Amino acid sequence: MALVPGVLALLPEYAGQQDPVAELRSACLDAVGWLGEVGGIGVAGSHQGLRIARHLAAEAGVELDLAPEHPAGLLVVGNGSARRTEKAPGHLDDRAAAWDEALGAALRAGDLAGLDLALADELWADLDGLGTLRDLGVVAGCAAQVDYADDPFGVMYWVMRWTCTS
Amino acid sequence: MTLCLGRHAFDDDATLMMAIVNRTPDSFYDRGATWAEEKAFERVALVVEQGAEIVDIGGIKAAPGVEIDAAEEKSRVVDFVARVRETYPRLVISVDTWRAEVGDAVCAAGADVLNDAWGGADPELVDVAARHGAALICTHTGGATPRTRPYRVEYDDVVRSAIDDTVAYAERALAAGVARESLVIDPAHDFGKNTFHSLEITRRLGEMVATGWPVLVSLSNKDFVGESLDRPVGERLTGTLAATAICAMAGARIYRVHEVPETRETVDMAWTIAGRRRPVRAIRGLQ
Repeated sequence: MALVPGVLALLPEYAGQQDPVAELRSACLDAVGWLGEVGGIGVAGSHQGLRIARHLAAEAGVELDLAPEHPAGLLVVGNGSARRTEKAPGHLDDRAAAWDEALGAALRAGDLAGLDLALADELWADLDGLGTLRDLGVVAGCAAQVDYADDPFGVMYWVMRWTCTS
Repeated sequence: MTLCLGRHAFDDDATLMMAIVNRTPDSFYDRGATWAEEKAFERVALVVEQGAEIVDIGGIKAAPGVEIDAAEEKSRVVDFVARVRETYPRLVISVDTWRAEVGDAVCAAGADVLNDAWGGADPELVDVAARHGAALICTHTGGATPRTRPYRVEYDDVVRSAIDDTVAYAERALAAGVARESLVIDPAHDFGKNTFHSLEITRRLGEMVATGWPVLVSLSNKDFVGESLDRPVGERLTGTLAATAICAMAGARIYRVHEVPETRETVDMAWTIAGRRRPVRAIRGLQ
């Protein structure tokens, strides 16, 4: 499994002359490329998230299977709160930092079952893909690797990989 | 169309700043500020630093005045072109002249472009450009004699006249051996035109662009701007930039200017609005 954030700036139609998310993009492509090695990749995310997944997969040379019955790997598109700073898209919400911290810990532990998602909408978090991940229960007990964890624009992004032995 | 200006080539979608450098004591805007060679050279250094791709060096002011013969014109520009060439090998050097004799001398000294602001008044200028592999700016003056002001000039259709004359001039230059990618057309705002003509040329510039020939516009601080806004020389920058934006939307490729950074930014903004240039860095709403 891999997680990338649903950042529209990753899409070519929104490219400027300079890439404001170069470091993030690089981490995303590495993670998607790694995921592609197992074959049969499914996708979980919002409608916009699926566009980003498709683009990253194409860039990484990975084929997606948008309706696999038993995917060998899952590319999840989602991110934390967009209300982390005064200049964040959703302005500052004091609850965002702690909420993201809890989400990050849950992601690293591969344990989404106990996560309280009640505040997600209020905190402008994109959890469509993570909800699928939770429902599938596929990262439980998997080893997590964090490739990127930062909030350069007041939105919490993670790029993560989970390696599951079972 | 790819532009080839003497020894320099530019991409299809490039816009170019042509900075005016007057080696004259009496041009309308700078009034002799760069008449002294050192001052003119400092002006070149400044506009290069400001990002101008082209300098347009002129030895005779456009308006009527003291007659300057070819020998005097050459003494003002030829050695200066050689000095600029030696100092700035990557800079496009244009010379504003209508005379073949002067064109020949400046090309030998390193000029890349002959900017014939008087629309082919000297029929041999095309041969000079061809012989030296120089580019040629083909302007429209409505048949005006060099260094005259328009007086009661009227056109059935000024845009049609500008297209017909500049394209005919370009075709004549092509036949004389000037490379197709080295020919540029210029409607020549205010030359042989009253303010209403220049406004119509600006409004309908897209028709000139549609000919496929690259278009140069020379709008900087001109009377049509001054009359439109009732502003004297020195207070025409805002109006100039508004006209510049309109011409950029229409697709003009070269901008002959006094103020380089302001024009560059205006053209870049209009070019970006037109969808021909990417924003430098876009993240707003896309995080």
